[in-house]
Amino acid sequence: MARVRKGLTIISICALALTACAKTDEPGAAQPPGQQRGPVRIGISLPLTGDFSEPGKGIQEGYQVWADRVNAKGGLLGRKVELIFRDDASDPNRVSSDYESLITQDKVDLVFGPFSSRLVIPAAKVAESYGMLFVEPAGAAAEVFEQGFKRLFYAAPAIASDHYNYLADYLTKLPPGKRPKTAAYASLDDPFAQGTAYGLRDKLAAAGVKTVVDEVYPPETTDFAPIAAKIAAAKPDVVVGGTQFEDSVGLVRALQELKVQPKLAAFSTGPTLAEFPAAVKGAAEHILSPVGWSATATFTGNQELVKRYKELFGGDANEDAANGYTVGQIVEAAVTAVKCVDPTKECQDKLAQHIGQATFDTVVGPLSFDDKGRPEQAHMIQQYVDGKIEIVLPEQAKTADLVYPKRPW
Amino acid sequence: MSLVLQGLALGVLTGGLYALLASGLSLYFGVMRVVMVAHPAFLFLAAYLTYTVHTTLGVDPFLALPVIVPLFFGLGVAVQRLLIARLAPDNLAMMSVLLTFGIALTIEGLLGTFYTGSYKSVSMEYATRSLTIGGVHLPYDKIIAFGVAALTLAVLFAVLVKSRFGQALRATIQHREAARLVGVPTERVAGYGFGVGLATAAVGGTVLALITPFFPASHWVWIGKLMAVIVVGGLGSVAGAALAAVVLGMVEGVVLVTVDATWATMMFYVFLFLTLLVRPQGFFGGRLAHRF
Repeated sequence: MARVRKGLTIISICALALTACAKTDEPGAAQPPGQQRGPVRIGISLPLTGDFSEPGKGIQEGYQVWADRVNAKGGLLGRKVELIFRDDASDPNRVSSDYESLITQDKVDLVFGPFSSRLVIPAAKVAESYGMLFVEPAGAAAEVFEQGFKRLFYAAPAIASDHYNYLADYLTKLPPGKRPKTAAYASLDDPFAQGTAYGLRDKLAAAGVKTVVDEVYPPETTDFAPIAAKIAAAKPDVVVGGTQFEDSVGLVRALQELKVQPKLAAFSTGPTLAEFPAAVKGAAEHILSPVGWSATATFTGNQELVKRYKELFGGDANEDAANGYTVGQIVEAAVTAVKCVDPTKECQDKLAQHIGQATFDTVVGPLSFDDKGRPEQAHMIQQYVDGKIEIVLPEQAKTADLVYPKRPW
Repeated sequence: MSLVLQGLALGVLTGGLYALLASGLSLYFGVMRVVMVAHPAFLFLAAYLTYTVHTTLGVDPFLALPVIVPLFFGLGVAVQRLLIARLAPDNLAMMSVLLTFGIALTIEGLLGTFYTGSYKSVSMEYATRSLTIGGVHLPYDKIIAFGVAALTLAVLFAVLVKSRFGQALRATIQHREAARLVGVPTERVAGYGFGVGLATAAVGGTVLALITPFFPASHWVWIGKLMAVIVVGGLGSVAGAALAAVVLGMVEGVVLVTVDATWATMMFYVFLFLTLLVRPQGFFGGRLAHRF
C-alpha cells in the first residue's frame, strides 16, 4: 500500500511538473482581439525532439519553405504569414496542451498538423473541439479517420491501402494473355507495411490474380530464406513485399538464392531509400515501389519547393518536407477561394467545407478528400530502370515506361 | 515434402550461424557467470569494422579477420579486467546485466556517431547465388557462414580440449576455487576467456555483415534468440550451445515453411520455457549448471 501511495505521489508530481512546463512555454502576450490586420499567425506543434525528431524537422522545413514562398508573393489575402512552432517532444500529452494553448492563448488564425498518427489524433481532438480546421501532413493510419473528425484532412496522396492503386490498375488492364495469374505476398507485421501489400492483394484478387502465398513475419525476423522457399515452391508471376528496409533487402537476396524469377517484383519503402541499390547489388533493376513524392515531378510548385529548400537549408528536400509544403498549399488555396482567414467558427467552417469538396494542385499531384478526410489519390509508382529511379506510373507524371516483365535478377 | 527438406536444409545452415554467434555468450557465462547483453552489439561492431575494411581497401570481407580478431581478443581481456572483474561478487549476475547493457548502448551510440543511422551492407558476388542439390537450394552465403562457424568452433574446441590454456580455462569454468588451489591463475584465465569470447564475436560479425544489412540498433533482435540458444543448450557449455543452435535452427526452418514466420520466431521462446520447466540446467549443461 505504501508503495502504491509512493507511486501515486511520484506520478502526480510528474504530472504537475509537466503542466508547469506546458504553462511556462506560453508567451504571456495574448493577441488583443481587435487587431485583425497583423500577420496571419499559424500555430504548429511538431516533434522536434524525441522519437520522431527526424521527420518532425523535415516537416518543419517544409512549412518554412511554404511560408517563405507565400510571403514572397505578398502573403495570405495581403497579410504576411507567421509560423509559431512548439516542440511536443513526440509526447501525445504535450501535443494536446500545445494546441490548446496555441488556440486559446496565442489566438492563432490557423493550425497545421504535427507528425505521425500517434500525435495527430490527440492534436486533432483539440482542434476539433475549438472548431478549427486541421490539415495534417502525416497521419495515415486507419484510426485517424475513424474518430469522426469533421475538419481533418490528410495532405498526402493516399492512405496505406491505396499506395499501389496505379500498379493494380496497370496490371488489371493488361491483355488477358499478358496479365499475371498468380501472386505471392510477404509482409512485415506492421499496420502500415501490411496496409500497402494488402491493398494491392485485394485489388488483384478481385481481378482474378490468384494469391498463392500470403506470409506475415514479425519484426525480429532475420532469416528470409525459408519465406523465399515457400514463395519458390508456389512459382508466382508477381512477388509483393509489404516491407521496410532490412526485410526488403533480405527478401530480394533470399528470392535470388532460391531462384525465384517473378515477372514483377514490388516492395514498399525499402527501394525508395538511397541505400537500397548498393545493398542488393544489380538486383534492384526493375523493382517497383510506391512513392508519395518525387523531386523530379513537375506538379504545381514542386520545382520551386526543391530549389527554395536547397537555398534555405542546403541539402535535398525529402518526402516529409514535401508533405509539410502540401499542407500549406491546400490551406493557401482554400483561404484564397473563401476569402477569409481568422479563427472564427464561420471562417473555419467555410475553409473545411471548401477543402472537403474541392481538388487541389499540390507538389504531390492533384488532391481531393472523401467525407472522412482521407485523400482519394494513389502514390506514384517508381521503378529502377537502367540503374536509375524513374517514375513509371501514373501516365501524367512518368519519366520512363514501366518495364514488364522484369529482367531476371 | 521437398519444401520441408528445403526448410530443414536452410535451418541447419542458419543453425550453424547461430552456434557461432552464441558460442561467445556461453563462454562468458562459463568463466565469469555473467550474462553478456552486449555480445550482439560487439557482433555488429565487428560487422561495421568489416564494412570499413571492405569499402576502403576493397578487399574480401574475410581479409579483415586477421586485424579484427586480435583486436577483439584484446578488447575482451580489457572489458573483463577493467570492468567486469570489478563488480561486487555477491551481486554479479544482476550487475553484469546492467553493466553490459550500458556497454551495448555505448557501442550503439558510437556506431551511430561514426557511421550515422543509415543502413550499411557488404554485398559480394557470391552472396546471392546458391548450390542446388536434388531440388534443394543451398545459398552460398549460408554455406560460407556454416563453414566458417564450423571451423571456428572446431578451433575453439581444440583449444579448450588440447591446450594448457584450454585446460586451465575449463578448470576455471568447472570449479574456480579448486582451480586456484592447484595453481591456475584464474583471474588472468578468466580475462583470456573473455577475450576468446569476443574473438568469436569478431568472426561472427564478419559473417553477419555478409548476410544481412545492418544499422546501429540491429543488435537488439539477436540477444533474445542467442540467450534462448545458450539456455536450451545448457549455460556455460559451448558444445551444448552449438547443438541447441542447430536444433533450434532446424525447428525454425521447418516451422517457417510449414506454419508461418510468427510461430517460427516464437519457437525459440517455446523451447526456452520448456527447458526451464523440464530441465532448467539445459539439455547439455550437465554438472556445471547444477551448481546454480
